[in-house]
Amino acid sequence: MYPYLLFIGITTLMIGWIWGVLYAPEDFQQGNSYRIIFLHVPASIFAQTIYYFMSICALMHIVWRVKLAAYLIKSAAPIGAMITFIALFSGSIWGIPTWGTWWQWDARITSTLILFIMYLGILTLHGSFSNLEKADRLMSILVIVGVVNLPIIKKSVDWWSTLHQPASISTSGSSIDPSMLMPLLISIVGLGFTLISLGILSSRLYILNREKNKKWVLEHV
Amino acid sequence: MFDIAFNTFDEIINMKGHGIYVWLVYSISILIIVVSFTITRMRIKNICKRININNASG
Repeated sequence: MYPYLLFIGITTLMIGWIWGVLYAPEDFQQGNSYRIIFLHVPASIFAQTIYYFMSICALMHIVWRVKLAAYLIKSAAPIGAMITFIALFSGSIWGIPTWGTWWQWDARITSTLILFIMYLGILTLHGSFSNLEKADRLMSILVIVGVVNLPIIKKSVDWWSTLHQPASISTSGSSIDPSMLMPLLISIVGLGFTLISLGILSSRLYILNREKNKKWVLEHV
Repeated sequence: MFDIAFNTFDEIINMKGHGIYVWLVYSISILIIVVSFTITRMRIKNICKRININNASG
C-alpha cells in the first residue's frame, strides 16, 4: 500500500506545485512571493493535523491501553516536527519580502513555534526513559496536555492583532481566487498522501525496532 | 488558467526579484522530505538485516 500512496502523493503534489508556481497568476499585492503559499499552507495544515492524530492516539493509549497507539505517536512525532519546521521556515522566508522581517513574536508564529517545541519535547521525553512502557504513558500525557495549543494556533489570528493574516480558507468559503485555490487544494491533498506514506514507513521502522525480539517480527522479516 | 505565468526561463528563475525566496523554500523543503524518506528506508533496511543476522545465529 505504501508505494501506491507515495506515488499518488508525489504525483498530486507535483501537479499542485507546478500549477501553483508556474501557471497560477501573479498576486497583485505580493507579486510572485505568494507562490510560497502552495507549500506553506499545506505544511501548516499538516503540522496541526498530525498533532490532532497524535492526541487521538494518546487518548486511546491512556484510556484503553492500546500499545499500537503509543507506537503511532512515537512514529508520527518526528514527521510532525519536520513539517512544522517546514511551515515555520517557509513562513519566515515568505515574511522577508512581504513583511520586511523574517521573524515576529506574534501570536500565530509563536504558537506554531510552541507546537514545534512540543514535538521535540515529546521525542526527548520518550527517549529519556529506559522503561518504554512508562515512556509511552508519559508521552501520551504530554501529548494530551499539548492539545491546548491547537485552538490557540487556530484562533490566534482572530483573538489577537497579529502580523499574520487571518485564514483565507474556512468552512464558510474562501477568499482566494479559484485560479490559485485549485492548485492549493491539490497541493494539500498531495502533501497529505506523501506524509501518510512517510508515516507508514516511520511506524514500520519503530515497530520493527521495538518488537525486534518478538517471534512474529522474526517470522515477518 | 493554464497559461504559463512567465515568458522566459530567466523570468521563472528570477520571478521579479522573488525567485530567491520561492526557489529557496521549495528546494530546502523538498530536500528535507527526500532525506526523511531516505533515512527511514535505510534504517528499516539496516534493522531487517540485523534481525536476520540475529535470527540466523539463533
